[in-house]
Order: sequence, then C-alpha cells, then structure tokens
Amino acid sequence: MMKSSTIRTFQTVHTWTGLLAGFALFVAFFAGALTVFHHDIATWQNPPWRSQPARDMPVQTMIDRLLQAHPKAGAYFGIVLSPPGSAQGPYAYWNDGEEHFATPDRLEQATADEDAPTRSHLADFVYALHDSLGIPVVGLYLMGIVSVIYGLALVSGLLIHLPQLLGDLFALRPGRNLKRLWQDAHNAIGVLSLPFHIVFAVTGALMCLFVPLFASLNLVAFDGKLNEAFAKAIATAPTVEAAGRAAPTLPADVLIARAKAAALATGVSTFEPDYIHFTHYGDANALVQVRGVSERTLGTYGTIALHGVTGEVLEEHVGATHTTNGLVNSSIYALHFGNFGGRAVQWLYFLLGLAGAFLFYSGNLLWIESRRKRRHAEQPGKTWVMARATVGICIGTCLGIAAAFAATAAADMLGTDPAVPMRAACYGSVAFAVAYACLRPVARAAVELLAITAIAYVAVALLDLARNAATWSQPWTPASTAVLGVDIAGIALGIGFAWLARASWRRATHGDVFSVWTHARQVRAEA
Amino acid sequence: MIARCLAGTVLGFPLSAMLLALCLFWLPGHGQDWLIPVLLLFFPLWVGVMAGSYMFRSGTRAWAVLAAANAAVFALLWLSRHLAGT
Repeated sequence: MMKSSTIRTFQTVHTWTGLLAGFALFVAFFAGALTVFHHDIATWQNPPWRSQPARDMPVQTMIDRLLQAHPKAGAYFGIVLSPPGSAQGPYAYWNDGEEHFATPDRLEQATADEDAPTRSHLADFVYALHDSLGIPVVGLYLMGIVSVIYGLALVSGLLIHLPQLLGDLFALRPGRNLKRLWQDAHNAIGVLSLPFHIVFAVTGALMCLFVPLFASLNLVAFDGKLNEAFAKAIATAPTVEAAGRAAPTLPADVLIARAKAAALATGVSTFEPDYIHFTHYGDANALVQVRGVSERTLGTYGTIALHGVTGEVLEEHVGATHTTNGLVNSSIYALHFGNFGGRAVQWLYFLLGLAGAFLFYSGNLLWIESRRKRRHAEQPGKTWVMARATVGICIGTCLGIAAAFAATAAADMLGTDPAVPMRAACYGSVAFAVAYACLRPVARAAVELLAITAIAYVAVALLDLARNAATWSQPWTPASTAVLGVDIAGIALGIGFAWLARASWRRATHGDVFSVWTHARQVRAEA
Repeated sequence: MIARCLAGTVLGFPLSAMLLALCLFWLPGHGQDWLIPVLLLFFPLWVGVMAGSYMFRSGTRAWAVLAAANAAVFALLWLSRHLAGT
C-alpha cells in the first residue's frame, strides 16, 4: 500500500503535467482522431470527379521527366506514389547531396521543402496540427516534449488511482455529485484505454524527438556508433556499388507488380505499394526498393528489394519475413497510425482518439471543480482563467478544424489555392474562440461556442453533400464512399457538439450556482 | 519537488541511455539484432526514473543517488567495453 504522502506527491505531479501538456494533447488527439482518415479527407478535398487530371502522371513518365530535368538524380531518388482511389498526386524525392521534392508539374522547379508538394492539402494540414500544432520544426520538438510530459502524467495518474483502481474501475456514479461522475469517467477512460495511451506517449515522443534523441544518445552512451548500427538495423536492401556500365532499368510498373507478387507470396493478405526507390538508376547494378502497406500484420510497412535490371528479388522485409528490428520499427508506425486492420481499426482509433481528447478536457474540468468554492458566489481567479482557456482553446480547436474544411471547399469553388485560407480560417477561429471565451461570461461562451461548432460541422457536411449531389446518383466508387464517410462523420460530430451544447446549457441554468459554470452570476453568497 | 523533478529529468536521461547501452552490449552480437526494441524502451525508462525520483526524501538526496547511479553505470559500461577490447 502506498503512503498517503506519496499519493499526494503524485497528485501534484499529475496536476502539473496535466496543466503543462493538456491543451497541446487535446489538439493532438482531436486532430489525430481525424488524421486516421487522412486518405479519405484528401479524397473529400479533391474527389476524382472534380480533380484536375493534369496532376496525375504514370510513374515511369514521371521518372523519365525527372531524369531528363535532373540527370544527377538517378543515383538516389524515389517516387511517393499516389494513394489508390485518392486524387492526391504522386511526387518525387531525390538527393544529390541536397534533398529535393517536386510534384509532376513542377519537376523543373524542385524545392528543398519537404512539405511543399502537399502544402495545399487539407489532410496534411490536419496532420500538421496533430503532430506539431501546425508550427514548422519547433512545433514538432514541442510536441515531443509534450509526449514525455504525457508519459509522466500517465504514470502519476495510474499511481494515484492504483489503490482503489479495481474497485472503482467500472463505477460510473451519476447523481448529485457531478465531480464524482466526471472523476469516474476520467479514470475509466484513462485506465481502460491505457495501452493505447502508452503507445502514443512512447511512439509520439520517438517520432517527434528522433533527431535530437539520436544525437544525444550517440554522445552520452554509444561512442558515436549508434548511427551505423541503426542504419544496419533498419536496412531493407543490400548495399551495392554502381558497376559503371549502363543497363536499362526495368519499367516501374513491372518492378512494382513483381514486388507486389513477391510480397503476397510471403503470406501477407495485402500489399499496397506507396513508395518506389531507386539507387544507381540505369546502371548494371541498379537497386530498387518498393515499400508497401500490408493489413492484418503489425509489420504494416514492408519493403521488397529488387535488382533493377533483372527484376530478381534480393531481400524481403514483409509481414513474417521482417527481422526483429524491422518488425518493431514497422509496428511503431502501425500502432501509431492504426493502419493495420482496415476500417474497423480505423474507427476504433477514431473513437479512442476522441476519448483521449475528452480525457484532457475532463482533466481541466476536474482541476476547476476541485478548486471550486462551495456556497460562495465568488470563485477563485485561477479557475476563471482555466475555464476561459479550456473553452477557448479546446472548443476553438474543434471549430477551427471545421473552419479549415469550410475554407478549403470555398477556395476550391473559387478556384484559388487553399493553403493560406485553410490556415487562416483555422487559426482565426481558435483566436476568435479564445477572445469570445474571455469577453463573454464563460458559461454562456461555452454553450454558444459549442452551438457554433455544431452548426459549422453540420453545415460543411451538408454543403458538401449538396455540392456532390450529381455523384450520388452515379454508380458508387470507393472514392464516393470515402467522401460520404467524411460528411457523415462531420454530421455525427456536429450532433455530438449540439448535445454537449445542450448539456452545458442545462448545467448553466439548472446546476449548482456556486460555480464558474452557471448563468446565475447575480446570485450572491448571502442568498 | 522541483529539485527532485529536475534531478530525475536531467540525470535520468544519461542513466537511461547508459543502461540501454549496457543492456545492448551484453546481448549476443552486442544487441545488433535487438537494437530497435531496446531503444524503444528509452522513453519508458526515462519517464520511470523521473517518476521514481519523487520517492526520494529530498532533492539533494535525489541528485546524490542518481549521480552515484550514473557513475556506477558509466563505470560498468566503460569496464565492459574495456575488457571486451573494443
């Protein structure tokens, strides 16, 4: 049994970690829940029946054009393939001493900016909000630190509740004591989805802090030998030197088909190629790696290495043929992105992601509730600040994402690039919500912002359904199902926000008046 | 509180890193085949040390014990490498 002083210490740790990381984690989880449907959002923005066909280009044509424009690229380059059924085009990556990225129509004017080919994509913006709050470079490191603090919050939270964990786990006590109900919900979600949260704390920290972490580990404990060992551990192809003799590399389609056949022969149920990489293109020793995604295995990302001239399979790293290193490396991504089990796992991750957002939101509410002064109309100043910040930032983020969807659709209808409008709409909405929560009585601000958010989600979805009206009478394709799915999820979220608005309104009008969450500010302590 | 937190964060980092390096060193083939699963343990270990540091009676004690642990693991790592001749 733990001493009560120890429990109090970890309570303080839990409170502080929650304060430091809670808001950023709310954004990460809400945007992350949507990011599960990354490809579907990309299709929603740009469905095949509306997209410009110029953007797409056969892989081999793209390779030929790339090598024509940049002959030196042949030594080391790859093509990120267009996801099946989506209108997101392919793009090229090459490294001739510097990294370059280019979309098919801009092969001549490549950029050194990794994000440039997808900057106008709504799905990538939602992803950027998720992994870095949309702030380049610094945001990623910030979220890495947040992930570490999140880990400490999980450990301390678990330790606090360990003593009465089993007894209270399935207790959800509705009734007059609302704090108890919130606490029960917070604990139940925290404990029951603990494995999911541990996965995110660990993989999130690794993904965000990979570069600085490796540099420091190398310095502190590995005598500078870590890079070499790591490169060896994740290698998916033999190291080959250029022969110096020219020989035609097989066409990309043939190589992709051969890799797919080889991958399926290892026993995985699917293998969707998403990236093809060439080393020494056009040389007698050309090496090709085809990366693909397999479902129903934790080694989702697999790679087949082929000889570029003969098409012979050199190495297989797919499903059961992964090494321990390869399998763990691949499962870090699989467990984080939830792409290992088709639609069912995607929906599960979506719901767990929303539940995670609720965990941080309810944590803030509990912080306010445990500092509430009973039988006093005057509430502590810090609880007002926390209430305004929670309403402004959390509901503002939800509103901001709906606004980004709306701005993307509007920019598309006007024929302009959505990159700036969607960012302006999103950050503008968050700023609006924060200002609104500071200027209005906070209980009213909560109800009104939730109502505005509910209307925004439903309106965007209905407008999109109407906009694609002609499509619903055509034979359905996977793309139309994806678009419909996004719209229906939007309507469902809208209904959810409306329900929350109603619950907040009931709380404000009928609930305890000695709280920041009441409309009845005029009720004085002496009443 | 702050002192214990800092001790766990600052000294927990090299301690966790060196413990993993030691673990890899003693695995067959210096752990090359287990590199990624072992490195995956870094954040859980570091956070574990941070959480554990709150159990110390005082900040000074936390700094002292963790510094001693760092020195011990560093010595073990250095000895292992030295004796193995690498």
